[in-house]
This record gives sequence, C-alpha cells and structure tokens, in this order.
Amino acid sequence: MSEGGPITHVVKNSHYRHPEPFDREKLHKSIIAACLSSGTPTGHAESISRRVVDEVLVWLESRPEVTSNDLRRVAAQYLRPYHPDASYLYEHHHTTL
Amino acid sequence: MDTFTSLAIVAFAALIHASFQLSVSVLTLLSGHAIGAKKSHARVLRLTTSYTTGVGVMTLLILSFTSLIFLHAFGSEIPLLVWALVCGLVLGIGIAVWLFYYRRGTEGTELWIPRSFAKFLNTRSKKTHQGAEAFSLGLTSVVAELVFIIPTVAIAALVLIDLPAEWQLVGIGIYTLISLLGLLIVWVLIGKGQSLARIQKWRVTNKRFLQFSSGSALIVLGFFVYVSKILATFTGAQ
Repeated sequence: MSEGGPITHVVKNSHYRHPEPFDREKLHKSIIAACLSSGTPTGHAESISRRVVDEVLVWLESRPEVTSNDLRRVAAQYLRPYHPDASYLYEHHHTTL
Repeated sequence: MDTFTSLAIVAFAALIHASFQLSVSVLTLLSGHAIGAKKSHARVLRLTTSYTTGVGVMTLLILSFTSLIFLHAFGSEIPLLVWALVCGLVLGIGIAVWLFYYRRGTEGTELWIPRSFAKFLNTRSKKTHQGAEAFSLGLTSVVAELVFIIPTVAIAALVLIDLPAEWQLVGIGIYTLISLLGLLIVWVLIGKGQSLARIQKWRVTNKRFLQFSSGSALIVLGFFVYVSKILATFTGAQ
C-alpha cells in the first residue's frame, strides 16, 4: 500500500512490463471515469470512488502483490452496490474490442 | 441484372457491413474515454461526429477504390469467373463470421482481430482529444475491419460497375449511408446522453444474434448473386 504500510505491487497483464507499486490516485481516477461514463454527476462519482478506493485499500492490506486483473475485479465488486452500471463498465472495459 | 435489383444488392451488402461491430466498439471506447476525462458534452459530440465522418469517408474511399481496381482489371464486362470467386469469398467469410467473429471464452464483445490492432485502437481512442484525431481514428478503424468487410465491398463494387454511370454514384452513396446505420444509432444514443453501460450491455446480450445474422446474411447474399448472375447467364435467363 502507498500510505505508511507495506507497499503492494501490481503485476501487469503485459509480460513486458515490470510490477509497479499500487497507485491509489490511478484507481481513484479510473473509478471516477467509469461512473461518469455511466451518467453519474461528477460530485457523486468522486464520493463513490473515494469509498470504493478505501474498501480496496483494506483488501490490499494483507497482500504484498496482486495482479491488475484481481485489482479490477475486486474494485468492480466493491463498486457494484453503489453503481451497478459503472461496475459493469469498469469490469468489462478491456473486453469491449 | 436491372438497376433496381443491383441497388437492392448494394443496399443489402451495406446492411451486412453495418452489422459489423468494430467501428461501434471503437466509438463506445472513444466516448467512454472522453466522458471519463470530464470533457463537455459538446466536445464529446464533436469527437464522435468526427469519428463517424472518418468511418464514412474511408468506407466511401474503399468502395470507390475497389470499383476502380475491378474496372481497370476487367473493364465493364466482368468475367463470370471473377463473379464466382467473389461469391465464394462471400460464402467463405459468411461461414467464418459464424465460427470466429467474436473471440471465444470472453464475456465482452472482443472481436477476432489481431490483438495488436485492438490494442492500438484502444490506446488511440484513449489518446484522442481533437476532432482531427477522431477523424483519423475513424479512417483506421475501417481498415482494421477490412477482413470482415472485404466481401460486402467486393460484391457492391462488382454490382456498381455494371450500372450506368449516374447510378454508380447513387449506389456508392447508398452503400456508404446504410453501412453507417449501426454507428449512427450509437452516435445518436450517446448524443442523447444514454449510459454507455446500457449500450454495451445490449451489445453483449445480443452479440450471438448479431454474429449469426451477419454470417447468415453473407451466405444469403453470396448465394443470391451466384444464382442471379452466374446460373442465370449459364441457363440463358439473363
């Protein structure tokens, strides 16, 4: 994790890229983007995103390394109760094309 | 073939072209990235309009270019062998669409195109901020879809060069407009502020139906042209 505790590394899908430290801001922005694409007003999207990121941070506490797919799946799972459409977009974004 | 039948074949080929999903997928990604980046609705609309225009221009250019190649290679009297080859291509791609159009084992609308193409289009749609970039993304997405649209373009080109000159332009216009139908529907929905998740869910739910109808329509088209051109010539009906 990025604040105070041990750093969690994210293993990327591409074999050519090294694992990188978990970036809270990157996750926050990607969840906001999914909410906005589902028609959520900006303020609401930011508040949903903050709550989801907090829940993901708790999940990450005991994990020194996670894959980007795991991170996506878990974030989508935490997002679902707040906004099912955004969660759907977030989880399936990479299978659109 | 009379003019009406020829134009009907061109329209049907264009309708099959419209059922292919790559351009729609890229439009969905483009608008998703633009909305996610907090661009204004007017800006999103400008990007999607430029993209759709790019797709239309490239479709028109590819159809005109293919017609020109056929015209230069064979003149206005196309040998029956060429008709037979194109009909075979249409039938073959029709069966391939049945079998391979969507990638197996994925829940989304991932298409059977090289992953490098898909990755490139995905990255470009994310980095597109200007109308001109969206326009060129539209041009590129038609090229990426060539493997599926070759048969419809080839049939339409063969039929078009059989027509009188004034009807050829009408035919090219009809093909371009009808081939954009699917894209125009999604463009209107995005313009009206429809949720992208709902559009994507609809596409995922109906993907097998779209795949089956595209493949079947290609087979019907190939068979119809084979009968109305080749068999009719052999039997003296034409």
